[in-house]
Order: sequence, then C-alpha cells, then structure tokens
Amino acid sequence: MAAVLAPPLGISSPARRIAWVPVILVALALAYLTLFLFVPLFAVFFEALRKGWAAYGRAITDPDAWSAMRLTLLAALIAVPANLVFGVAAAWAIAKFDFHGKSVLTTLIDLPFSVSPVVSGLIYVLIFGLQGWFGPWLADHDLKVIFAVPGIVLATMFVTFPFVARELIPLMQAQGREEEEAAVLLGANAWQLLWRVTLPNVKWGLLYGVILCNARAMGEFGAVSVVSGHVRGLTNTLPLHIEILYNEYQFAAAFACASLLALLALVTLAAKAWVERKLP
Amino acid sequence: MSIQVQNVSKRFGTFEALNDVCVDIAAGELVALLGPSGSGKTTLLRVIAGLEAPDAGRVLVDGEDTTHKRVQDRNVGFVFQHYALFRHMTIFENVAFGLRVRPRALRPSKEAIADKVHSLLKLVQLDWLAQRYPHQLSGGQRQRIALARALAIEPKVLLLDEPFGALDAKVRRELRRWLRRLHDEIQLTSVFVTHDQEEALEVSDRVVVVNRGKIEQAGEPGYVYDNPASPFVYEFLGNVNLFEGRISRGMAQVSGRKLAAPEHLEVEDALATAYVRPHDIDVAVQSSAHAVAATVDHAVTLGSVVRLELSRRDTGDVVEVEIPRDRYEGLKIAHGNVVWLTPRRARFFLKETPTAIAS
Repeated sequence: MAAVLAPPLGISSPARRIAWVPVILVALALAYLTLFLFVPLFAVFFEALRKGWAAYGRAITDPDAWSAMRLTLLAALIAVPANLVFGVAAAWAIAKFDFHGKSVLTTLIDLPFSVSPVVSGLIYVLIFGLQGWFGPWLADHDLKVIFAVPGIVLATMFVTFPFVARELIPLMQAQGREEEEAAVLLGANAWQLLWRVTLPNVKWGLLYGVILCNARAMGEFGAVSVVSGHVRGLTNTLPLHIEILYNEYQFAAAFACASLLALLALVTLAAKAWVERKLP
Repeated sequence: MSIQVQNVSKRFGTFEALNDVCVDIAAGELVALLGPSGSGKTTLLRVIAGLEAPDAGRVLVDGEDTTHKRVQDRNVGFVFQHYALFRHMTIFENVAFGLRVRPRALRPSKEAIADKVHSLLKLVQLDWLAQRYPHQLSGGQRQRIALARALAIEPKVLLLDEPFGALDAKVRRELRRWLRRLHDEIQLTSVFVTHDQEEALEVSDRVVVVNRGKIEQAGEPGYVYDNPASPFVYEFLGNVNLFEGRISRGMAQVSGRKLAAPEHLEVEDALATAYVRPHDIDVAVQSSAHAVAATVDHAVTLGSVVRLELSRRDTGDVVEVEIPRDRYEGLKIAHGNVVWLTPRRARFFLKETPTAIAS
C-alpha cells in the first residue's frame, strides 16, 4: 500500500527514509474501515453463530422468520419491477423529450430521497389509515392497506422510487437523442425504438439501478415499520423481525436473521462491482 | 425527387432560427446549405427531415406536402455529423436496421436483407467490416457506414448534417470527393449542411448561402463566388479585401483607377466599399499617383501562385494578394519592400444613401 502511495515523481525522497505521510494516511483509512465496516460485519456473523450452528439453523427456519422472509421477498418482487417500469418511463421522458413541468417531475422523483422514511410511512397512514382520507371508505369495503401487506408494498415502492430513474437519467442524457432520431428516420415505431435502441444502450445502467433498488427494498426499515403494525407471521418484514427478536433479548436469533441481510448486502456489492465494470 | 421549402419560419424561444425561408431543390441535385454556425442551416435541414416542426410554412417532397407527415413515414435518408450509429449493434445490424423495422408485410426476407446490406457495404467499400462494432471504426469509416445505413431504406432524398465536420482535413477531402462521385452514380436528391465554403464549392451543384435564418443567395458555386449578392456572401465565400471608393453613374474610382460598377448605374454620387478578391489586385514596384502603398509582410508560395500578405501604409489594414509565381519572381520583392496596389476588378456595395435616390 505504501508503495502505491509513494510521492509522485519529481519530489525526491532519500532511499531508506520512511515516507510518514502515506503510512499515516493508509493506517488511518484502514483503522476507519476496520472500526466501522469489518468489525460490525464480523460481529454480525460472530454473534449469529455464538450459540452454534444448530441454534443458527433454528433461528432462520423459525416460522415467523420464514414468513418475514417471504414478505420481504414479496415486497421486493412487486416494488422492484414496478419501479423498473416507472424508472424507464420517467427517464425516457425526461432525457429524450422536452415538455412543460419537466423540472417539477425531476424534483418529484427525488422526493423519497429527501423525505425521512418514517415520514413517508406516516403519509400512507394519513391517507389509508382508519382516521385517514380513505380510511372509512376502505373500512366499508373491508379492504386493509395499513397494518397489512398492501401498505408494506406501497411504503417499499415509495422509498425505492428514485433508484432506477436516477441511475438512467444522466446516462440517457449523456447518450443524447441522435440514435433515437436516426432510428425514427429509418422507420422505427416507438416500441421498436424502445426495445431495439434505447434499452440496449442503457442495459447495464438499468441493471445497476435494479440491484440498488432491490437492496433498498429488502433492507427498508423506517417507512415499513410505520405501516406494518408488527403482526408476527403476518406483517413483519425481515428487518422488523430482527428488531423484535433483539428487543426480546433473543440476540443469537436476531443476529442470525441479520446475517441473512448482511449476506444479501455482500451479494449486492459483488453484483454491483461486476456491473460497474460493464458500465462505460 | 424535388424538395420545395415554402415560407418556413421556426423560433426557439426568442431565437429566430428560420425566417420565411424558401428553397427549391430540383430532383437529382446535390445542394449545399452553407452558412456560419447559428445561421439556421441545420434547423432548415431538420425541418426538411421532419425532426423539427416549422412554426409556419410547408415542405413539399416530390410535390407532396410532407409538413405534417410522421417522421417514420417520410422515407428520408439522414446522416448525422457525429454518425449516430447504434453503438450496441454490429455494422451489419446497423445497416440492416431500416429494413428490419419495417412492418411484416413490407419486410424483405432474411436473405434479401443480407444481400442488400452487403451490396451497400460494397458501395461504401467497407464490406470487410460487417461484423465489427462502431467504436472499432475510424471516423471516416463510421461516416460511410452511416451513409450506407441511410441508403438502405431507399430514401426519396438524402440529407447530410455537416457530414465531414468531425473528420480531419485529409479524410475530409477524400470523403467529399467520394461523396461527389457517389452522388453522380446514384443520382439521389441530396442536401448537405456545411460551414466550410471550400467544401460547398467543391462538392455541390448549387450553393444556398444561409445567414441569420434567411437565404442570402442561391446559385451555382462558380456564379455565387464571382457574383456575391451581398457583402456577407462576399466575405463568407473566400478571402476578400475592402477598399474605399466613390461611385458615379456606373463607374467607380478606387485607388486612382476607374472600374465598372454596372449594378449602380442609377447612383449619382456615393461612397462605396469595393470588395476585391486577392487575385484581382495588381502589384507594381513603381509608384503611381493613386495606387495604395503597402509593405510586404509575408510571402507564401502555394504551388503556382504566391500569396502576399501586406499592410497598407495609410491605414495599416492587412491586404491579401495572390499573383502568379512567375509574376512574383519578376517583381523581385522581399519582406519589408514597399509596393503599389491597384484593384483590377471589384464589386461595390454602397456605404451611404445614394444622393440620386435621396433627392
């Protein structure tokens, strides 16, 4: 490492003198990474396995844990494709067309990033909750949104809303409109344009956005926590399940489930690194 | 097929890109739209293609009003300055694109498409690159592929937007000769945009000079070069020197010489600016009463002519003169010598309201 950070050419340093500045900088960076990244990651797996593999197995095969995993996957399975379609549509409109209200739309797409997740959850409680705008109507028709699966899916979708669009807009803007213009002049209709020209040009950026979107969808805590109601086996996602276990002093089980999310993070990271190499 | 642009206007916000423009292009012609950047020439080309909708006026192709036709249905070949090849497709797929996206009923068979693509790649002499990707090609190769792709749909007209603008000087010269030959071969009505006057004069059958959203002049290259309709065209097409003169009834006095100004027969007496090409100036080593004295700053031999750069002794203005090489050698002049210049031929544009019309 020190060799990599050797002073640039032109600054002479005597052969055997230790270059302190790079050494200190590298040491600081490593200490920082260790303290805030490696130790917590290690702690998660260490605590998860503290009571042995059997206890670990029991914790992650517990029916409540299973149902939390299923719900987490379901939320991601709906939120990610929905945001994929929306993200492509929004990015296409913003990057390739001029229309009134374009800057308003761009700002709106960023809204979920700037609003606290808890507030996003509360918005849905205010709209669909029993005391909310549509609460009485929903109650009359025996529909449950808040403290039920639809609420969790909605909250997840809201929080992960910007990921795909945010990834695609700058990429599409950088690529310009000329290829699309060329395709239209050659006779392509809108559908052919999208499938044969626009999407193939952004496929790696799109995959990158989807990976980030998925990671956030599965890991979301704040917004989902507000709308979930924490009904075990019914409306608990994996992050919520972990919190409950922890609050009940079942540390090994809590960390066992947390290790699943940590593994997901590692897989996401690897996938992200692989896609990044493909991006221009 | 012919193209008629009738009274087309186009604004972008407060910027007037085209102002009541009319252009007639005959079938089979190769026309250059020539103008400085921001003159509206590219906008005009994009209006013809349908990529921009005019605010007013209409465009006829082969007599048919295409102003409101969808871009997809216009059957226009278009070549972009930066090629706009589909980056994720091979060269073969790029050229085949226009045929593959046709509705099923009109789409040629796989074999027919392959035949067509290969014959087009042969036409642009790049058959051996079929399986490469655009980023593996040089600029000149990419532009030829872009041309093959545009020709694949058998367009009614071919439009080229600064087709050589992104290429280096040598490739650009080769490619424009090649384009000229190709045009003579396929006889497709073609319009190309350029800001390079040499390119416009060398390649086109007819030049349309555009400035500030208006047509300044249209005509055969040689004619426009020799008979510019406005000071703008004069300065834009080739180098020019400005002299002061006085006009009276079709005759002008410039630097002690009487020159014909037949376009100003009705003018009684007016100050005018004489526009003189570098090769229309005589150089003498003997002083004469009214000739312009100038100091030789620089002499460059360009093949059979010598280009002299001089500065006028009275105003300090730079004058550019081209004389035949043997004439230059006969003069025996060198850097720092003083010579006397007289315009031989000039075109006059009035500087003030002529008295004859004013009174």
